[in-house]
Amino acid sequence: MNSGDAAGSSSGGSGDAGAPRRASRKPKYSKFTQQELPACKPILTPKWVISVFLLVGVIFVPIGVASLLASNKVVEIVDRYDDACVPSNVTNKLAYIQNSTISKTCRRTLKVPKDMKQPIFVYYQLNNFYQNHRRYVKSRNDQQLRDASKANETTLCDPEKTRDGMAIVPCGLIAWSTFNDTYTFQHNTNNLSIDKTDISWKSDRDHKFGSDVFPKNFQKGPLIGGKTLNESIPLSEQEDLIVWMRTAALPTFRKLYGRIYVDLKENDTITVTLDNNYNTYSFDGKKSLVLSTSTWLGGKNDFLGLAYLTVGGLCFFLAFAFTLLYLIKPRKLGDNNYLSWNRNSAGH
Amino acid sequence: MSLYNVLFTSLPVIAMGVFDQDVSARFCLKYPMLYQEGPQNLLFRWSRLLGWMLHGVGSAVIIFFLTIASLKHQAFRKDGEVIDLSILGATAYTCVVWAVNMQMAITVNYFTLIQHICIWSGIFLWYLFLIIYGAITPSFSTTFFMVFSEALGGAPAYWVVTLLVAVAALIPYFTLAVVKTWFFPDYHNKIQWLQHAAKHADPEEELGVVLRQFSVRSTGVGVSARRDAKLVRTNSKVIHADSSSQSQATVELT
Repeated sequence: MNSGDAAGSSSGGSGDAGAPRRASRKPKYSKFTQQELPACKPILTPKWVISVFLLVGVIFVPIGVASLLASNKVVEIVDRYDDACVPSNVTNKLAYIQNSTISKTCRRTLKVPKDMKQPIFVYYQLNNFYQNHRRYVKSRNDQQLRDASKANETTLCDPEKTRDGMAIVPCGLIAWSTFNDTYTFQHNTNNLSIDKTDISWKSDRDHKFGSDVFPKNFQKGPLIGGKTLNESIPLSEQEDLIVWMRTAALPTFRKLYGRIYVDLKENDTITVTLDNNYNTYSFDGKKSLVLSTSTWLGGKNDFLGLAYLTVGGLCFFLAFAFTLLYLIKPRKLGDNNYLSWNRNSAGH
Repeated sequence: MSLYNVLFTSLPVIAMGVFDQDVSARFCLKYPMLYQEGPQNLLFRWSRLLGWMLHGVGSAVIIFFLTIASLKHQAFRKDGEVIDLSILGATAYTCVVWAVNMQMAITVNYFTLIQHICIWSGIFLWYLFLIIYGAITPSFSTTFFMVFSEALGGAPAYWVVTLLVAVAALIPYFTLAVVKTWFFPDYHNKIQWLQHAAKHADPEEELGVVLRQFSVRSTGVGVSARRDAKLVRTNSKVIHADSSSQSQATVELT
């Protein structure tokens, strides 16, 4: 009966202890609970759609051109040597490579196709080598690599855990299979020095491989998988091992071997003296030596530039197509006759 | 990486589910034909669900192969470093986070502040996570240790690849959405066009008349349908009893 009270309670106001009033269950109004927040309701108008496609095209085509130009600027020499470096009279390549008494030195000649400015990066490339195999990737023990006191931690390192009852440092298949071909270079009969420092990531050297951890009991078994390590050098300075232990993502990969800080001119001859030690013959792997320059985008890969150009071109085409369709549009937006269920039921 | 499902894509999806409105409340009341989208099973048909699943698979294929083809065995930085498993993984993951959040941005019909916060913070949180997780000691973060701060952040190739892959994964859906709303619009799409046009003019008058006529046509389901069908049966019995000798043909109702 109290109209004042009724008005007060129906507005959902805060409670007041005073006169008895009808308890209101109406929730407090707020824009959030009533879903009336200020909002924009984007809709795919022709203006928006065509301008979005044009914008994407306009951004992507120049990036594609720049990427393609960068990739074309890279000069790369790739030389596959695992087939050529085995003498022609050898039939059983596996036995040849596993025989440690035969000298595996091999000479290769490379020709520089275009001027290469320093720094020139030397990589070794492996094909058909699955460093991303699950069991392989897990076959390491990070604690052992980092901490000298944890030298006996060899969990997950099967089958390279212990030898003659003593733990192997570094344990695991990744370390066991470290690449062990070596290369020396000569440039037009002058010796070319390779800088093999700083080829690994700094975070690996500082945090993942201990400076007081030394190799122990390593490659002492009947099957030698790769490189033998100098037991007086700590792991944080064994950069070839560190580089190798950063497992590659794809079955064809390169790893940094060193850097050359000399400019190479077109038609120069580089003579490579290499030791063909690493066994890729039992699984049809390939080994190659790569010399490459780099740009802001990295090495030579035309795909990025081409993909950008393709997507940009596709967007231009779609913008053009939608413009045409909008101009010749066959029906007004909002015509009800084209509702799907109305088309079927004709009479009503 | 199960954190992915929980954190990086759940927030925008929840925000979309709770806050999205394809048609505002006022227009909903005005056009009751919108209700027919339920009984006609227009939104949860198998074909539509399978379409979305196919879109997910297609986007994943695009993201995966584009990332791998862009970052192959060559160096990805000026200093000659090559990619490894964690770098490729982090790049692909970044592309997925961008693609999913931008997909949300395209799909949402009703952009409030909350949608903005969820979408952009989803992306920002991913980068924050990369930096923070990468800063934790490698005994916990293993291969992701400093992957962003050292390797990816300063590599232009990373940002270039992310832009390409995220946009390329979205173009198919965007194109299909445009074609659908322009040429094969659902009823709620039409109302959206009306809402949009209503801001400039007031054309809903004539259309409103037409739409209201549709609203009163006979439905196929529900209480009113059963009542109408019963009426038809009763009427036919009455006519039958009344004039059984007369026109038998007219009795063939239904």
